[in-house]
Amino acid sequence: MMKEVKISLPFYKTASALLFIVILSLIRGVSVSYEIGAAMEPAMAILTTAFCADTYVQEITGRRSEVWRLYPMKDKLCAIGARLLLQQGFLLLLAAAGYYLFFLFQRPRLFSLMQPEAGSEIRQFMIFLGAMAVTIAFWSVLSNTIACIFRSLWFGIGGSLLLWLMANSSFAKKLLGPRNVFSYAYRNIADAGGFGWLAGKGICIALCAVMLLLLPTLLKKRG
Amino acid sequence: MSILMNDLTVTFRNNVTAIDHASLEVPEGIFGLLGENGAGKTTLMRVLTTTLSPSSGTVTLNGLQYHEKNYEKIQRLIGYLPQEIDLYPGLTVQECLEYMGALAGVPKSLCRERIECYLEKTGLTEHRKKKMKQLSGGMKRRVGLIQALINDPEFLIIDEPTTGLDPEERIRIRNLLVDFSEKRTVLFSTHVVEDLAATCNQLAVMKKGCFLYSGSVQNLLDNAAGAVWECMVTDPIKARELEQNYRISSKQQTEGGIRLRILSRIKPGIDCRPVPVTLEDAYIYLHNY
Repeated sequence: MMKEVKISLPFYKTASALLFIVILSLIRGVSVSYEIGAAMEPAMAILTTAFCADTYVQEITGRRSEVWRLYPMKDKLCAIGARLLLQQGFLLLLAAAGYYLFFLFQRPRLFSLMQPEAGSEIRQFMIFLGAMAVTIAFWSVLSNTIACIFRSLWFGIGGSLLLWLMANSSFAKKLLGPRNVFSYAYRNIADAGGFGWLAGKGICIALCAVMLLLLPTLLKKRG
Repeated sequence: MSILMNDLTVTFRNNVTAIDHASLEVPEGIFGLLGENGAGKTTLMRVLTTTLSPSSGTVTLNGLQYHEKNYEKIQRLIGYLPQEIDLYPGLTVQECLEYMGALAGVPKSLCRERIECYLEKTGLTEHRKKKMKQLSGGMKRRVGLIQALINDPEFLIIDEPTTGLDPEERIRIRNLLVDFSEKRTVLFSTHVVEDLAATCNQLAVMKKGCFLYSGSVQNLLDNAAGAVWECMVTDPIKARELEQNYRISSKQQTEGGIRLRILSRIKPGIDCRPVPVTLEDAYIYLHNY
């Protein structure tokens, strides 16, 4: 497992991701704790896209893919899965740290005091973590899949960015509503205790599963 | 373990034919694949490693036909060192080999045993804790060779392993290949003739996707026997004239003048003597006559 950590979480990546979160929490203003999730979800999606696009494609850029082709599919999938999980775990920890950095730097008013029916701040935080876990899983698998299709890191990032731009727009907000992949960020403040946004996260999970099921075929065909 | 190629053709989407109706048998032992840049050597290797599917023709490995349904079985028998490979720079030599061994499906204890043995053979034991990015080009090639051997392949494919290495490293890699070729089939591709002269008994010469020659090194040398001449000229104009009229395999400035090796079926019209054929002479002779 340490080898996978060294491969998928090199210093330059972890340090730049950390810096990204610190800068985000410094410059993105929030006045109520409720807004932290909305501020972080699209940003975490972008970070995840750039962070995870090289999960497999690094084997192509490192000119190891022709050797990888000789390995049993089960072992290849295990290695890619382990890399994805490690990166997702790191990003989730970073998201949790970012949540508290927002409290530290922005000093927002506590939503739990404004709308007690929404639940405690701890509850809000746990919901945030759940939503972030799905967001990170979706964008990491998406960027890795697009990168595998085009055998290019930049296509992986660019293709995901295109979807990000479409989903993170007022048009998509109106058109898709709670079925948007950013449904957590766009959730309705009037229904703070509600879980209507789970539909969007359910779609993320379903899309994630489809992309993961496609991975063996992609590795076979695209190498 | 023998590999049979029959009427093999590889045509890319842009209609470039990299291998053109080529047939070859690769027997057990170390087998050299020689050819100029762009001759089709790497394409052939990519077919043999199942990276590329041929447009037509057949390839069999110990009777196992290269077909998508057999690829998994074939892949288990192959070890491959590509021309250029950038092994995980953040891992140490030991970690890198353990990681690649695990990916190849080699059990942990067996993998460690093999790593130990091959590190010893390649003289890398004392460097096992060094990170890959700290190694010299020759050391990286040696680690690359170990990763190709880690699953104990019956068919080892090595693409230009000595490119960019200093003479000492080249000799070391060549000797390693000879050691490893025992009870294995090693296909060793290069455009450096002296590498093959020092390692192989059997070889094939490729040109523009076809095999110009396939057989023993001795036969190839015999083909050019009596067609290599050496002469000494003092006048540079005369040397230039000879270069225009004959195929010259070597030209050397010496204290006594310019020494030329001339390839010609008939004795050139100059004071010269027949000399023993080198593999380089034979290769050039094959390409031009």
